[in-house]
Amino acid sequence: MEIVRKISLFVLPCVVFLVAIIIMFGKKNYFSSFLQGAKAGFKGSIALLPSMCALIVSVSMFISSGAERVFASFLAPAFDKIGVPSELFPLILLRPFSGSASIATYEEIISLYGADSFIGICASVIMASSDTVIYVICMYFSATKIRKTRHAFPVALFISFFCVLLSCIVSRLFLNMI
Amino acid sequence: MIGKCFGILCIISVIFAIFTGNLQGLNDGILEGASKSVTTVISLIGIMTFWNGVMQVLMDAGIINKLSKLLKPILKFVFPRAFKENKGANEITACISANILGLSNASTPLALNAIEKLNEDRDSDKATNDMITLAVLGCACFSLIPTTVIAIRIAQGASITYEIIIPVWVVSGICMLLGIILSRIIGKISGDC
Repeated sequence: MEIVRKISLFVLPCVVFLVAIIIMFGKKNYFSSFLQGAKAGFKGSIALLPSMCALIVSVSMFISSGAERVFASFLAPAFDKIGVPSELFPLILLRPFSGSASIATYEEIISLYGADSFIGICASVIMASSDTVIYVICMYFSATKIRKTRHAFPVALFISFFCVLLSCIVSRLFLNMI
Repeated sequence: MIGKCFGILCIISVIFAIFTGNLQGLNDGILEGASKSVTTVISLIGIMTFWNGVMQVLMDAGIINKLSKLLKPILKFVFPRAFKENKGANEITACISANILGLSNASTPLALNAIEKLNEDRDSDKATNDMITLAVLGCACFSLIPTTVIAIRIAQGASITYEIIIPVWVVSGICMLLGIILSRIIGKISGDC
């Protein structure tokens, strides 16, 4: 486990090291590439603010009004049976629909229950391993006149459901090991 | 989609708070949420700026092409028809490489290209098996470095930050494999279009 943990610490520095080598010894002026990308990233994250503001307010309302607790407690027996904490319900609900809505929910869950708690780790793994299924599939087929996507939705939705289950199992193992 | 998510959550919350008399909590929620959105976005700006710069260098230096070359022999089995007819194979590998690196800005246009290529000379409104596999992989792809999640965890003062990569690799890897297997099996049973 210690080795795996060390590897995980190496990933990010290795990528940065590789980029530094490219910038130092590359044939082109790669630092201008860096600046160009960084500028796009900066603009992109600033552009997130208006929709994030709306969504974080709505998620915060949903949780602080007590509605989330009531829904979650309805679902708690079923969630308990499959080993998923019911606190994750808003994230599981919104994840397939919208990226910014799920970031907003994820942020709210992390700040409520703690980033290093079982719930926080589960939410992080779900957030990183699954995607906005409905948005992605609609997007991919939008340029063509394909309307019958056959088993694309059932398979993708099943995988994101499976991803939630697996995230909770793996997070539990991970927390026991660390 | 975002508008609908926002609308539904707000309507449910307001009605709920009125019926349970929890208006004080709801008021706090609105104000806290609005100010929290700023801190969330600000905590993301730094890593997003840096990471996008890093990825742009890798992209300009041709790293997507290199990863594509590595992936091509494997993807031959995942997208048999595209590779056999040599239609859209390059776009598919580039798209999946970008997805693995977490370059969603680059992967979506590549996916659209790939699907258009796969759809050339066809007059059906049904998706082919290869298109479906690509769409499933667009939703369930191995995630090498989950930057957004790491950035939010650091901003929230987590002590487990980079180590989150380990469970993410396990889960996203298994989900990707399962996605490929399921979409191939169902495609095989129902026949191609």
